[in-house]
Amino acid sequence: MEYIHLAFTAFYQFGDAFAFLVLSAMGLAVIFGMMGIINLAHGEFIMCGAYVTVATARLGVPLPIAMLCGSLAAGILGIVLERTIIHRLYHRPLDSIVATWGISLILTQGTLIVLGSSMAGISTPLGSFSVGGYSYSTYRMVLLGVAVLLLIGLYVLFHHTTFGIHSRATIQAPHMAKAAGIDTGRMYSLTFGLGAALAGLAGALYAPTISIVPTLGANFLVESFVTVVVGGADVFLGTAPAAATLAVIKAFLTGWQGQLMGQVGLLITVMVVIRILPQGLSGWLLKGRT
Amino acid sequence: MGMLQREDLKASRPDGRMPGWLRLINGPQTLGRGPLFWIVFALTIGAAVVYPAFADAWSVGNTAYFFCWVFMALGLSLIWGYAGSLSFGQTAFFGLAGYTYGVVTINFGAAYGLTIVGVLLGVGMSCLGAAVLGYILFYGRISGVFLGIVTLSTTLVFATFMAQTAGSQWAIGDARLGGDNGMTGMPPLTIPWAGGDIALYSGVPLYYLLLAMLVICYLGLRVLVNSRFGNVLVAIRENPHRAEMLGYDIRRYQLIAFVIGSGLAGLSGVLYTAWGQYISPSNMDLAAAALPIIWVAVGGRKDLTATLVGTLVVLGIFQNLTIFGSYYAFVIMGLLLVIVVVFLPEGLIPGLVKFFGRFRKRKEGMS
Amino acid sequence: MKYSTIQRTATLSTLLAGSLVTSASANDPIQIGVLEDQSGNFAAVTQAKVNAIELAAEEINEAGGIAGREVELVIYDTQSDDRRYQELMRRVLQRDQVDTVFAGFASSSREAYRPIVNQFDGLAFYNNQYEGGVCDANMIVTGAVPEQQFSTLIPWMMEKYGPNVYTIAADYNFGQISAEWVRQIVEEEGGEIVGEEFIPLDVSQFSQTIQNIQGESPDFVVTLLVGSNQASYYEQAASADLGLPMASSVNVGQGYEHKRFAPPSLENMFVTTNFIEEVDTPEANEFVEKFYERFPDTPYVNQEAANSYIAMYLYKQMVERADGSTDKEDLRNVIAEGDVCFDGPSGRVCLDPKSQHMSHNIFLAQVDENHEISFPETWENIEPYWLGENGCDLTQNDPSAQYTPSSPPNE
Repeated sequence: MEYIHLAFTAFYQFGDAFAFLVLSAMGLAVIFGMMGIINLAHGEFIMCGAYVTVATARLGVPLPIAMLCGSLAAGILGIVLERTIIHRLYHRPLDSIVATWGISLILTQGTLIVLGSSMAGISTPLGSFSVGGYSYSTYRMVLLGVAVLLLIGLYVLFHHTTFGIHSRATIQAPHMAKAAGIDTGRMYSLTFGLGAALAGLAGALYAPTISIVPTLGANFLVESFVTVVVGGADVFLGTAPAAATLAVIKAFLTGWQGQLMGQVGLLITVMVVIRILPQGLSGWLLKGRT
Repeated sequence: MGMLQREDLKASRPDGRMPGWLRLINGPQTLGRGPLFWIVFALTIGAAVVYPAFADAWSVGNTAYFFCWVFMALGLSLIWGYAGSLSFGQTAFFGLAGYTYGVVTINFGAAYGLTIVGVLLGVGMSCLGAAVLGYILFYGRISGVFLGIVTLSTTLVFATFMAQTAGSQWAIGDARLGGDNGMTGMPPLTIPWAGGDIALYSGVPLYYLLLAMLVICYLGLRVLVNSRFGNVLVAIRENPHRAEMLGYDIRRYQLIAFVIGSGLAGLSGVLYTAWGQYISPSNMDLAAAALPIIWVAVGGRKDLTATLVGTLVVLGIFQNLTIFGSYYAFVIMGLLLVIVVVFLPEGLIPGLVKFFGRFRKRKEGMS
Repeated sequence: MKYSTIQRTATLSTLLAGSLVTSASANDPIQIGVLEDQSGNFAAVTQAKVNAIELAAEEINEAGGIAGREVELVIYDTQSDDRRYQELMRRVLQRDQVDTVFAGFASSSREAYRPIVNQFDGLAFYNNQYEGGVCDANMIVTGAVPEQQFSTLIPWMMEKYGPNVYTIAADYNFGQISAEWVRQIVEEEGGEIVGEEFIPLDVSQFSQTIQNIQGESPDFVVTLLVGSNQASYYEQAASADLGLPMASSVNVGQGYEHKRFAPPSLENMFVTTNFIEEVDTPEANEFVEKFYERFPDTPYVNQEAANSYIAMYLYKQMVERADGSTDKEDLRNVIAEGDVCFDGPSGRVCLDPKSQHMSHNIFLAQVDENHEISFPETWENIEPYWLGENGCDLTQNDPSAQYTPSSPPNE
């Protein structure tokens, strides 16, 4: 019984960290990993998702639908920003740091001005369960399930649908894609919107568990960049192994040495990975194929 | 680039009479070369020199405070604008140098010009730190965005570590690191003087000292970027592979630029620490680390003059927005950043220069 | 070591202003600088401070001002950014030449501006609950400090729930120093610290921590968590059904978590605070009523709002007792008399001359499953004793430093 319990504990902590890393990084993996835009407004897409979710849920809308609304709102916001600003920056990715930083300032402060400095939250659904005398939050396990499903869904989307193939073609070889009759501008918008919607979904899913304040997106920023950089350019082959690796490291260090080492460990892992695998894990995994 | 070359030819004639090193001040890698530029330059210096006579004490001290930050921006212009390596680590070296200054001066006091030793040791420490980190990065062939991410990670690790050093066990000699509250109690810059040391709090003497340092630093960097070394840096920025094919060890050039640029961030760090008698992890965190990038990118990173002017302009605008803009300060700042990046891709200063240049040409054309 | 140029400038401006100064000062408004974070991370808790100061200023002006002079506020938004405190503190002291400054939420902000207040020999009020230990003649602190909050809270909790204590604290000065206080008091009272965990400020995920707490099965948990990231702990602990009583010096009273989180995540949270809007005394009710009447959009009237309001009246009293002088030394001479007290929203409070900190009535607030507040206990007139007992005496000398329990002033 003791071993079962220990194994479950390790699995729960790993799963919790894994879900957080995957969900917070997924949107960035599309926008930064695939499109090369250094999106410092990533946190604000997450914030948008969380705010819309909480607001609609408090109006009485069932939580899962409220979450979809949150994700959708972030996606629409993403498409609008892409059409107005981001599409001008594809050929100079480093400038996107400044532009998205500016967008982030506007969105954070705009939320503060319009909606006030904080918003009443909603409860975490689904209660708890216990294993070997310890109790655990059920919702956390649901998050893990959602993270895994999303990873699979994205893999299918990018590798087995027309949208995915057009999108990857547009980003890897825009001129060829255009020559082949793909509306590349639209593909860029949709891909960016997808990234924003995924970020919004992260905010929506975590909304019940965090404080609803305009600066909440900053909670996710470091973890998401770390995961994407370790993962490299491929959304599925990068994010999944990177999140898994980092989750093991984080869960282990946090359990062993406390939260500080968990945080520092993540950052040191990034430095080591970049030093030995400059293309990230997906670059390394894909090397055998090309 | 075409416009710059044309100006090259124009400017090359009067240079003939200058000694070699001085000619470099005027060389090809910096905007502003003609006599008009140097007249404006001299007038600006003149205006800056007489400024304290006309401004109130706060404005003078505040301008001196702005000067503290410019070194860091110039350093980033060298690393990023000239050598093409995006560093998110300026504030790490800023902090490292600031803390070093604190440790040295708190332990050994301010007498006998020891604060100047503190400044030198602070800058030295940041150069050393940059040499170690830079060696790992550049000799590991890390470039582009990844360079930015690794330097940012380094900065965040350092800031996170310093934030938890509140306990009394975290002390170097008498200097307590102070955790997130930061380190206080270091003396301001003190110049040894017959008849009593002069402590340079934020006032007129500090203003003149920083102005002089800034002019020397600016002209020195102009010489550097126009020298053979600077030309190689620009070659690396434009096309690293070609530079390598031509036989340059690009890693060495990038490393040297990184060390010098980070040393300048260190200089900013000690000056800021001495100015406010305070340094803390919040001077290094994510929000702080993005600031130098914003100043440099908005000003125009590929040119020293643009960086210098742009940094001062951005600092001034942001501060005034904070003072007068109330809630809307951040919104307006954000809008300004987006507008500059979208419509003036070269940066604010080169963009404006170009705009007015075109305007002038059109007027000439009409007449 | 005061600075020659400031003196020179001061002399120059005195010369320029000449005789105007003496004649004008009797009618000129008294200017009070207000540097608070109305944007950024801390906005949720500090907006009420600004409003409280505005409310007090309006009341004072309606009643004839301070010593017959009108009160004028010079308000800046410091954006939760320590550098803005440095810049704007210099601005209010040097350009606006205010008579006093009310400034700061985060301890790091206070430490950032304190050297500047010292350089210009100004007078600043810090109206925030904090980790304690600032012994500086240029500072007056009206917020509660650890000895006031923990010497009351911890023994009460141990008696009610048992001697085994688990502390989770923010991994920076406030959290570490407060945890040190908790440890000391628990040991004095014969209890045991079964676990102690420090959490970096940017952490918002607590699964491992929740499990560690379950592993040690303490009688109650001391939560010294700070900021919006760490506030996520309560919801996460509740959803994992941790179910332990919590004790805190910082929650509810400052960040009104019981209003912001859906019940019952804060159930059985016990907080010692010197004021919250639920305090049910005639003075408190009157204050809260006035507050909502003037600022109907206020999310919550927290302890910092009350302290800022009280500080305004303390300042008024000090200036009036110093015959209208706003000179720092004249005001400190008034404080040295030892009876600068005010009967305000939280009852009677007094300034301690040795540390220039304030005594408080400490209310024990208990949060129930519907997030309603009750007060099982109140302690009257708890002194900020620690600095004074350990060698800080501002009536004798001014070290201008911050001390901690492990490095007290007399060491």
